[in-house]
Amino acid sequence: MDYLYDGTFEGFLCCIYAHYHEEKASGIYPAGEYQQNLLSSFKVVEKEERKAAIVYSAIGKKICKPALDRVYSVFLSSEKNKENILLQYIRLGFKVGPGINSLHQHPFVFDAQKIERQINAEVHRYAGLLRFSVITAPGAMPGQEDDREILYAVIEPDHDVVELMADHFCDRYKWDPFIIHDKRREKALFSYGGDWYISELPRDVEVNLSGSEKDYRLLWKNYFHAIAIKERTNPRCQKNLMPVRYWKNLTEMR
Amino acid sequence: MAGMEGTLEKLKILADSAKYDVSCSSSGVGRKNGGGMGSAVAAGICHSWSADGRCISLLKILFTNKCVYDCEYCVNRRTADVARASFEPEELVDLTMEFYRRNYIEGLFLSSAVEVSPDYTAERIMRALVILREQHKFYGYIHAKIIPGVSPELVHRIGLLADRLSVNIEMPSSESLGLLAPQKKPKGIFAPMKQITGTLAEQKNLRVGGNKYSKLKQQGPLDLKYLDPQQDMTGQGGLMDINGYPLAVREKQGSYKVKFAPAGQTTQMIIGASPESDRHIVKTSETLYKAFHLKRVYFSAYIPVVNSPKLPDLFTAPPLEREHRLYQADWLLRFYGFTADEILDDKNPNLDMELDPKVSWALRNLEHFPMEINKASMEELLRIPGIGSVSAMRIVRQRRMAAVRFDDLKKLGVVVKRAKYFITCLGRYHGDEEIAPDKIRTRLLPDGGEKQLSMFSGGGLTQLQGSGAKAGQISPQQERRAIP
Repeated sequence: MDYLYDGTFEGFLCCIYAHYHEEKASGIYPAGEYQQNLLSSFKVVEKEERKAAIVYSAIGKKICKPALDRVYSVFLSSEKNKENILLQYIRLGFKVGPGINSLHQHPFVFDAQKIERQINAEVHRYAGLLRFSVITAPGAMPGQEDDREILYAVIEPDHDVVELMADHFCDRYKWDPFIIHDKRREKALFSYGGDWYISELPRDVEVNLSGSEKDYRLLWKNYFHAIAIKERTNPRCQKNLMPVRYWKNLTEMR
Repeated sequence: MAGMEGTLEKLKILADSAKYDVSCSSSGVGRKNGGGMGSAVAAGICHSWSADGRCISLLKILFTNKCVYDCEYCVNRRTADVARASFEPEELVDLTMEFYRRNYIEGLFLSSAVEVSPDYTAERIMRALVILREQHKFYGYIHAKIIPGVSPELVHRIGLLADRLSVNIEMPSSESLGLLAPQKKPKGIFAPMKQITGTLAEQKNLRVGGNKYSKLKQQGPLDLKYLDPQQDMTGQGGLMDINGYPLAVREKQGSYKVKFAPAGQTTQMIIGASPESDRHIVKTSETLYKAFHLKRVYFSAYIPVVNSPKLPDLFTAPPLEREHRLYQADWLLRFYGFTADEILDDKNPNLDMELDPKVSWALRNLEHFPMEINKASMEELLRIPGIGSVSAMRIVRQRRMAAVRFDDLKKLGVVVKRAKYFITCLGRYHGDEEIAPDKIRTRLLPDGGEKQLSMFSGGGLTQLQGSGAKAGQISPQQERRAIP
């Protein structure tokens, strides 16, 4: 039986629930992308919070907390086959328990760990490569009439990592309100004072740059060029460490 | 922004002067935002990579490049004809805060030329740091350079503000220092180093760089002639006590509220401006690690900036490959449990430019090989070329569950094409060559296998010449990469 779900993490967990309590799953797919074939039947799984919560706590308790984190990270990836990789991983996890962390060579574990590494790498990379611009917005704070400065950053990550970046940036810019805009997925992280939420935000939003923003961009660009040693120029090394796909949102590379 | 033009000009000059400082790391301390702006991540974060492929993590800048010293190798020496500038502390603080706010940087790396006197310069550095930390409640990373000859009180106060301190040793031996930087004295360099180490030890916060397998923690009489061949540095006022044991091991009781340089201290030396052998350099850095418990010793390939009879001439290419091999040797010291005497000895005073130092060691000590992957201890696994600390740890963890098979090695992160000559897996040897140094060496050279193959294919001779020319070349990628 192929299980189809609505694309949310809870929906996916309900498919795992169905795998154990109803018929065994031959595959899990997002409903929108499923292509029906003659060999297998399919069923759309309804999202139920209770079932999702049961599976969620079972993974944390019976396998281990790192495995739960891994499952969630892999779910955020844009890997095509992620649901089935996770299904295999979770099934194995329920069999062997916390020992799954040591089975690096096992193909199911290897796949999941590889994707998790990619996600973590992207989160870490964005901790450095994200660039805020200072923008002004009228009355950004409740009960406030004046213009207020807000930090605004655009990202276009390979995976859906904006949520995983929240803790780092919320702590660092605790008293600066900021928005991290994932243009590829048309969503954004809004944060102030250490709290955050994620909401939809269309691709095209107009922002007013603050007065001194251009000056600091220019200063940064000049610094960036001055700090390179020309006798050691090494574009291949630079591109290896800072892939070109990130360049269009980098102040210094534009 | 007011005064934009002036700031831009100063930024260009003072960043350009600071670029030869190697360290830009922001690692070694993890800290939450304590109520202002910023935090620190223990692993460090790189924010950009400049055109030379070096990471930009901190705003690396000089406070001033107006210098009273006349060091031969330096762009900012007194007699050099370069544009000069100085920041005002407030100006520099504003720049740091605004860059930090836009997530351009992880913090500040503040160094300086010696204007008027070491103490005058250090006071100005300190003022900028006080404004950052106290007025702006800045919780980001600060790396401050200590100029040789600064008074101990200032070193201490700067250490309470900064996360990491560094005193540059500049040259691998005191003779070269005397020749090329006559105004800097070994004592002036070692005194603040020793003071920083001592304070860290008092605060019980002294941790040498590297992992638990490194042998740098082991205390014992040090071979001091590599630090200072002329002076006897034991006893009175030197680095060592009367028996030649480092003073750093003495710990005092006491509790401190403010942490002193929580990310430790580092140093840097210039490679290729003076005639020391690689053995001397590796030995010096080992001694430095052991005596001062430094976090890192950085190497900087000398880039000719001036025509001087004491220095390599202006058209000498910077010894980038040598610097790369020295860093590999440094990794062996810190993460693989090697000692300097194992990496190089008097018979082999220089590193092999074609092979990494771990392979060179293995080829000189083939009697230890092949090692059985499923039986070798962690320390032994770390000695196998192609196995790094992560893959060694995975091997040890996995073989508790099931034996490691040869096919698993790649998935565990082992560089199989290098490791296969030095291991057996479940009793079987997978190297396609008998265990003889010269034969394995040929195979491990860059393009070595290709050269062998081309003997049998059509245009053997021409291809042989082609790949032979390529063998000596450096791939730009190899730079700044650890040995797996």
